Amino acid sequence: MAFRLSQIDFTADGRRIERAREVAANELTIGRDSACDIHLADLAVEPRHVGLREVGGKLEITALGTLGFTLDGASRSEALVDPASGGELRLGAARIGIGRADDGTVLLRIEASSGASAPTDPLEDKRGFSLASVLPGRRLAGWVMALAILLGFLAFPVVSHLTRAPQGHVMGDKSWNPGPLSRGHHQLAGRCESCHVRPFEAVKNETCSGCHKQIHDHAAPARLASARADAGPGEAALWGIAHLFGKQGPGACVDCHVEHKGGTGSPAESQALCADCHVGLKNRLPDTKLGDAGDFGTLHPELLVSVVTNADSGAHARLPASQHPREDNGLSFSHKVHLDARGGVARMAMELGSGAGYGKPLGCANCHHQADDGVRFTKLDMAKDCEACHSLAYDRVGTTVRKLRHGDVAQMFADLSVAGPRHPVVTGRQRPGAYADGQPYAAHFATPMPSPGAAALGKNGICGECHTATIRNGHPAVRPVFEPKRYYQNGWFDHSAHKDSKCEDCHAARTSNSAADVLIPPLANCRQCHLGETAPASSNKVPSTCAMCHVYHESALPPPGRKAARPKA
Amino acid sequence: MSARNAAPGTSTHESFLRHGNFRWAKTAGGIALFALVGYLFFRVPPRPYGGTWFGYTLGSIGAGLIVWLTLLGIRKRRINPGNWSLKAWTSAHVYLGLALVVVATLHSGFHFGLNVHTLAYALTLLVVLSGVFGVAVYATLPKALAASREELTQPQMIDALRAIDRQLDEAAQPLSHDDAEWVVVSLAEQPLKDGLRARLAGAPRRSPTRVALAMLGERDRDGPRQRVAALLARRLTQLERIRHQQRLRALLEVWLYIHVPATVALLAALSAHVISEFYYW
Repeated sequence: MAFRLSQIDFTADGRRIERAREVAANELTIGRDSACDIHLADLAVEPRHVGLREVGGKLEITALGTLGFTLDGASRSEALVDPASGGELRLGAARIGIGRADDGTVLLRIEASSGASAPTDPLEDKRGFSLASVLPGRRLAGWVMALAILLGFLAFPVVSHLTRAPQGHVMGDKSWNPGPLSRGHHQLAGRCESCHVRPFEAVKNETCSGCHKQIHDHAAPARLASARADAGPGEAALWGIAHLFGKQGPGACVDCHVEHKGGTGSPAESQALCADCHVGLKNRLPDTKLGDAGDFGTLHPELLVSVVTNADSGAHARLPASQHPREDNGLSFSHKVHLDARGGVARMAMELGSGAGYGKPLGCANCHHQADDGVRFTKLDMAKDCEACHSLAYDRVGTTVRKLRHGDVAQMFADLSVAGPRHPVVTGRQRPGAYADGQPYAAHFATPMPSPGAAALGKNGICGECHTATIRNGHPAVRPVFEPKRYYQNGWFDHSAHKDSKCEDCHAARTSNSAADVLIPPLANCRQCHLGETAPASSNKVPSTCAMCHVYHESALPPPGRKAARPKA
Repeated sequence: MSARNAAPGTSTHESFLRHGNFRWAKTAGGIALFALVGYLFFRVPPRPYGGTWFGYTLGSIGAGLIVWLTLLGIRKRRINPGNWSLKAWTSAHVYLGLALVVVATLHSGFHFGLNVHTLAYALTLLVVLSGVFGVAVYATLPKALAASREELTQPQMIDALRAIDRQLDEAAQPLSHDDAEWVVVSLAEQPLKDGLRARLAGAPRRSPTRVALAMLGERDRDGPRQRVAALLARRLTQLERIRHQQRLRALLEVWLYIHVPATVALLAALSAHVISEFYYW
């Protein structure tokens, strides 16, 4: 019985050397111990690792120590192999091929490799010190990230925008949103295409007016353009560049209403925005009726009050508040008489007592009541505000007092005509002869007196106290009464913001003897508390921007009760 | 990036940081100052942001800077002499990169959000900060790297380790299986196979070789085990030297693994930022 051992080695240049020897024995041992038949100088191998024995033409392999061996890839501690069919035994780094030689001897081809001393490439070693040997390539990581960014943040939204259905929604453009929309446009968040209609095209005024149909221009665009102060060379160059990129303006919606900055979307209340045009406006727009305005404290035209100059025709005029404007509101009234603390009116108010809402000399609040929004005052109401003193009662039937109906002259005539007793001067006796009833000279003789209605309308009558009689369409009437809601046409005044002031601080009612006096204070009065935006803190005045009283888009009177239209102070 | 070629300042050598009597530091300072002064004085209503004319000016400067700074990656691969030496280029790269932070921040007008614009800004900061780290390590570490080599090149260090390993392998042949196991464990410790974290951490306190040395060194004082223990001690010293070198190399290189990929990503984010801005104009 013999084994043929074939030792395979490689030279440094890779040449293969095969050395064969015969071992005449029934059993073989393999291990690190040099006494073994097959000596493997490998620390992973036990000194006596496996034993081989031929049993009945087959090879029995047994692990001699605690470690097993690997036969054809499987871990074993003992095995029986037919050399004719072959097998590969692995012990540490060594491979032992089992086969049968032509002459029937068991052939073991031993291929040992020493793990520790494999020849290496110094360049490879040098590279091993670098991180490049353990990390993925820098450029690869860069390209992967770049591709992801370009796809996710550029290609996806662009493709979605270009291929969407009409009115369709663009996907993926949320990552383009540079900031929150203004409060009013909140519902447009996520619908960028509502304003950004076409690619590479600036947001246009036409897009804004698609929704904002009621917003009117501050003035006609051509006038606005002429009114605008000449841009300096720098600004003109900037607009040149902006126009190259398709921007509208100056004066486009987006020039003032900057979006994606949250807030209200309205421009900052800077007086410079107005002063741009309104300083020296006359030079650029010769036909303007507006005076120059640039700073409330130093450059602002006198306030104009809008008054009725003829109650019959309703003619209006805007007059400077400083020139004691007079109005014809159709009433006769003296604030002085009513507010005189020692006069008859005061006396009467005290007699009426606090139960009736009086009890003290009259004050403004006895007749003028602030509206719910606090901005202005409610319309005067004869029944509520005057009648406690100026009674319209004219008759008493039992316990019922009959009153005239305020505001209806024809009704007044009718009521009074049947009210009073009109007795004949002589009663119970017939006039004689041709003067008797039914005779040619019969007549009713009575004290000559005007009709009660006409008397009421007379200068000292119950109506004529406040109203002026006139004839309208051939019938007796009173002149129309005008009670203006607002005196300032372009400015905005909020009484609630001035609640810490007294009425007489601004309204000289105590000295006014005539209803024609317009009790609106002049500009100088406002300047006692208000100066321009740049008012120094030391002046103890309220720095006031234009927007405190004026609104850019609304030059006409705002709708009633539209407090929200007032710019924020 | 190629600053590794420039040694820190010495009396005979001018480092890239001091190049041309800080010419680029002054230029970059000028750009930053322009941006800052403009930001404070050209207050275009309603408030500063990237869409005002000064914002667009800063944006254009910033985009130009980013593209130019990126070109260092191309410039450093071209070996050509000229007025624009690589050192000058690197010096400009460092200082203009710092100026970019000021320009980009003021361009943003301090408006940040979860969007591609802030992504570009964040990548800019990441690139510049990693670059600052790079400059810092280049200014300090090459000296330490040279000092700790002890006249050995890095491949020589590996060769020396292999020689020790071969001797260990041979010396351990007579050992019992249990003892040989410790040698095998030690030999399996190959510093070149260390990952990023292990490299940045440097030599571990409890390495397999140290444990093997402790196990075998205590048994007896003579015979094959003593020889093995002596070899293990040498191996340990060599391992520590290699790991120290590896750690310095890792510190010198690791920032580039942020700087370079983030730069490529930044170019993409910058493109997306600019194109999207004009797409939804």
